[in-house]
Amino acid sequence: MTTTDEKGIRETVKRFILSSISIAKLDDDDNLFESGIVNSLFAVQLMTFIEKTFAIEVGTDDLDIENFKSLNAMTAFVLQKNGHANG
Amino acid sequence: MDKSRGQQLLTDAQKGRHEEFKSFVRLDVEPFAEQWDREQRLPESVIATLAKRGYLGCSLPREYDGQGWDTVTFGLLNEALGRGSSALTDVVTVQSMVSMVLLKWGTTEQKRKWLPPLAKGEMIGAFALTEPDAGSALQSLTTEFTPNSKGDCLLLNGHKKWISCAQFAEVFLVFGKLDQRPAACLVPRDTPGLHVEPISDLMGFRAAGLAQLHFQDVEVPSANLVGKPGFALSHVAPVGLHYGRISTACSALGLLRGCFEESIAYAGTRKIGDKTLGDMGMIRSLIARMGTDLEAGSLLCHNACRAEDGHLPEAFEKTLMAKYFTSRAAVRAASDAVQIRGASGCHASSPVSRYYRDAKIMEIIECTTQIHEDILGNIFVDQAGRFGK
Repeated sequence: MTTTDEKGIRETVKRFILSSISIAKLDDDDNLFESGIVNSLFAVQLMTFIEKTFAIEVGTDDLDIENFKSLNAMTAFVLQKNGHANG
Repeated sequence: MDKSRGQQLLTDAQKGRHEEFKSFVRLDVEPFAEQWDREQRLPESVIATLAKRGYLGCSLPREYDGQGWDTVTFGLLNEALGRGSSALTDVVTVQSMVSMVLLKWGTTEQKRKWLPPLAKGEMIGAFALTEPDAGSALQSLTTEFTPNSKGDCLLLNGHKKWISCAQFAEVFLVFGKLDQRPAACLVPRDTPGLHVEPISDLMGFRAAGLAQLHFQDVEVPSANLVGKPGFALSHVAPVGLHYGRISTACSALGLLRGCFEESIAYAGTRKIGDKTLGDMGMIRSLIARMGTDLEAGSLLCHNACRAEDGHLPEAFEKTLMAKYFTSRAAVRAASDAVQIRGASGCHASSPVSRYYRDAKIMEIIECTTQIHEDILGNIFVDQAGRFGK
């Protein structure tokens, strides 16, 4: 399975979150930060996972809650970092 | 130690570096560590030697004048230094915390300006996070950054306490609030309005140059903000604390090795009648626990460093486990090492008395044992929940 298309990215990130945190379900637009799912340790783990898995670097300009708030947001962020602005 | 599983996992290059570090510590650190502890200060010359050897920028890439060493080698450096002097190791700890935060979250301009002098040890950094009323409860920070009307400068007011190396650091990475959002900012030591008040008579880490920082209308350029406001506690500080924990975990491992080596040497030669101390079962029990903790700690530290080198997300929890284990094991080992030596272990002429005082500090810095238990317990309970699903 490729992880570079939109669906593959979303599923890969979702699997990582569900394997790390005990939550019953995670919808594509669920806000991870508002729900309190993400603490500071998991925030950096999630960032590191995204960097490692998709071979991108999260820099200071990327520090925007809009990039990480949900599965859909992270998928769009990875696509944009990889030069696929519209997915 | 050399036959331990942790050592067997090293490459030849890593083993060679470790021997170099241990030789340096044996000749240039151990003979003087007691004097530094007694005088509560590190001489400039030893910090200059760390710089000259490239130890203060060893994890930074070569493009910023660092050594570009892997994290396993960084861990070995801290292990070797930890055998000699916890206070001196703390300089490497704190320098790496500031440097690695800048490497990760600094702008291109900030990296060009600050990283080369930090890497070469021409500039010492300090990590100014803790406040008198905000230790483990970081959300309670009261230090405040207020933007000026033009928006090009920030006015800094607040108070930091227990800041390692602050007595001699030239730049501080200061955490506070900006419009109620957590923010981090670089503040040079010579900025008007900043007063550094040394803290003396600590139980351990006595030569580590701890100080309080008082900021009164300190004006710093907005360009010195590191990371974006709002992310200082969720993304910026955790990078620094992570490297601080790697360093401290390995430093505690070095202290543990010191306790072990001092104890087996003493137990093998100290006569009790026609036997040696090491012939006594109760002493062997203490040494057995020390040696086993040393092996286990070595593997935990190696695992954590390897995970960091692989840029793996689990590096963070492996590092928490390593620091949690080695700092507690160091406290146990130091207590037992003093016990084995008896009265002579209570005197400054034996390094174990200093180890005893320094080890306890390891359980407190870079988050306390209890915070580690809270975080790790949460991770393990979450894992149990997942397996139960």
